[in-house]
Amino acid sequence: MTFRTGVIVGFCVVLGLVWIIESGAADVFLEATRPDFQKIPLGVVGIDHVGGPESPEGRAKLGSRMEEVLKADVRRSLVFSLVDLSNLGIKAGGRGGEPDPSFKQAAANGVSVIVWGKAGMKTDTKTPDVSMDGYVYDAGSDEVVGGKRYAGSMSVVRLMAHRFADELVFRYTGEPGIARTKIAYVSQQGTARELFVMDYDGFEARQLTTDGFLNLMPHWSPDRRFLVFTAYRNRNTQEIDMIELATGKRWTLVSQGGLNITPALSPDGHFLAYSSSHEGNAELYRLDTRTKAVLRLTTNAGGDLSPSWSPSGRELVFTSDRSGGPQLFLMSADGANVRRLTFDGDYNAAPAWSPRGNWIAYVCRTLKKEYKLCVITPDGQKRMQLTTGHGVDDSPSWSPDGRHLVFSSTADGKSQIYMINADGKDLERITFTGTHNSAPTWSPAS
Amino acid sequence: MKKLPAIYLPLILGILVVVTPACSKKAVQSGGDAQTFQQETAKSGTTREGTRRGGVSPNFPDTAFSGRNDSSSLRGLDRDPSEERLSSDAGSNGGFGGNGGSGSNGNRLMAKSDPGAAARQLAEIRAEQIASAAAELRDVFFAYDSFSITDEGHHALSNNAEWIKSNPNTQLKIEGHCDERGTSAYNLVLGEKRAKAVRNYLVELGVVPDHLSVVSYGKERPFCTEHAESCYSQNRRGHLVVRTGN
Repeated sequence: MTFRTGVIVGFCVVLGLVWIIESGAADVFLEATRPDFQKIPLGVVGIDHVGGPESPEGRAKLGSRMEEVLKADVRRSLVFSLVDLSNLGIKAGGRGGEPDPSFKQAAANGVSVIVWGKAGMKTDTKTPDVSMDGYVYDAGSDEVVGGKRYAGSMSVVRLMAHRFADELVFRYTGEPGIARTKIAYVSQQGTARELFVMDYDGFEARQLTTDGFLNLMPHWSPDRRFLVFTAYRNRNTQEIDMIELATGKRWTLVSQGGLNITPALSPDGHFLAYSSSHEGNAELYRLDTRTKAVLRLTTNAGGDLSPSWSPSGRELVFTSDRSGGPQLFLMSADGANVRRLTFDGDYNAAPAWSPRGNWIAYVCRTLKKEYKLCVITPDGQKRMQLTTGHGVDDSPSWSPDGRHLVFSSTADGKSQIYMINADGKDLERITFTGTHNSAPTWSPAS
Repeated sequence: MKKLPAIYLPLILGILVVVTPACSKKAVQSGGDAQTFQQETAKSGTTREGTRRGGVSPNFPDTAFSGRNDSSSLRGLDRDPSEERLSSDAGSNGGFGGNGGSGSNGNRLMAKSDPGAAARQLAEIRAEQIASAAAELRDVFFAYDSFSITDEGHHALSNNAEWIKSNPNTQLKIEGHCDERGTSAYNLVLGEKRAKAVRNYLVELGVVPDHLSVVSYGKERPFCTEHAESCYSQNRRGHLVVRTGN
């Protein structure tokens, strides 16, 4: 290395450091949940079945189904800890929302919130109709702080419980909760891979496409109306398509020849970042969704792909193999200020920037050559491996509250979809049917 | 990077101006796929919205997020709650509408989907398989993480090149495939590198580039699905297909 090259390399490194120092904290928002966050102790007394004719699934089942959904939502909220009330002598409040005298013992037993409700079939409608009332007692203020009344068809039994759970989270954090969010994913149907969408807990799966070939790597629009994804025209050419969930209507957004992969809409929906190889190798581009103008973001001999937006929309993290194996890089949304983020291991890919800004999740290859989930801070200062063991983990996607990740893994043999907390706890499998479920992507909250 | 004496500052700035362009030195690109793309669009009439302009549709809806409160927004707890009517998808999930009250069974299909598409694709795949088997084209296999063609691969491609040259009216598709290890996204890039390596070698052997197209399937269309090297080695391949129709 000549002296001049040495000086150049040296100053490039210094420049890189300055950029990291300048931009490192820009996208980190204050966390609502600190690592030592004390969960709020909440007890669900029960959801009783009242009045009306029996539901098609039997009297007890309707209420207990809702109760089961509600408890799972409360547990997954990570805002509350679910308290077992059965040994505390606390009884359900009145069916009109009146507190029970036993509630007085709640605070003494360390319970902050008590929830109870009733569910039943409505008699005054032609079609089978369900109603649910839920009430919330707050031990701190020693009063029933409010309730909700829901009505709808048998198809919304789970949704009632989800919506009530989100109201609880909203009441105590001001955030909308994740119980009504959806996960879009790819599922094998015969020899084809089609797009599906399901509730965040794996229920209510719905097929979106029937192309009979490959539809890959869906990604949500910020208003939850659309998915963008990679499709194959006549099996020979890739393109980036968009589908409207409500209608199934399709648009081809990008069809430039070569690879057209890993589309990601910016948090404000104004830009679509994607990777295309129509000018040679895989490069990143940015399409303005209003003017339809395309800006090329990267120029190098390596493959650039998998862009993920920072919550502010000012930066992108992406995969590039410009330095050998795939590694994570950061850059500004206009393609400037490119710098490498990951240096551990020889394979780091599929980054996903947390909606809170503080972590970037990705797939890291371990020393044992296993593909696992890792997270790294955008300044590169902290790094953690979240999953261990056999199986290929892929496609991490954050919950809108930044407390969970959904991803695919072959840990149990076939590729299935799993959920895990951002700290690596509470691994939970959420798909159980089919031969292949992959590429999960978590919807924004509503 | 603590405090530098102020005297060095002009010097550093001066050097930065000189060396910065070197930091962003552009690399040379390999040949693009514009030609392949033009062939594809000429052959396939678009059935979807929009006409093409440089490969970007001018007619898709604006995806900008208005941030408006929609019907799915939470309304908060109420001391005297009034009834909220929920319908599946719509209402609770803002804009997911269209299926309200249609029952709780899963796997509901979208109204716009084309149930005949899958059957057509299967028939076309079958026709391609028959034509490809008749041509006795040989596939090329790759090492883990690699897109270099082996000696065995070179030998296979020499045979293939002879067949292609003696069948000048044939259009050939080179599919790049990967094993299940690694991410879906990066394997699409790797698959394309494998397919292009095969194409480039065939062109070196004198095959007319216009007769070849490349497509990457990454790890999405594996030839076998066991979690073992015997299977992985089958899936790391450049697969040659005789195109029929489209």
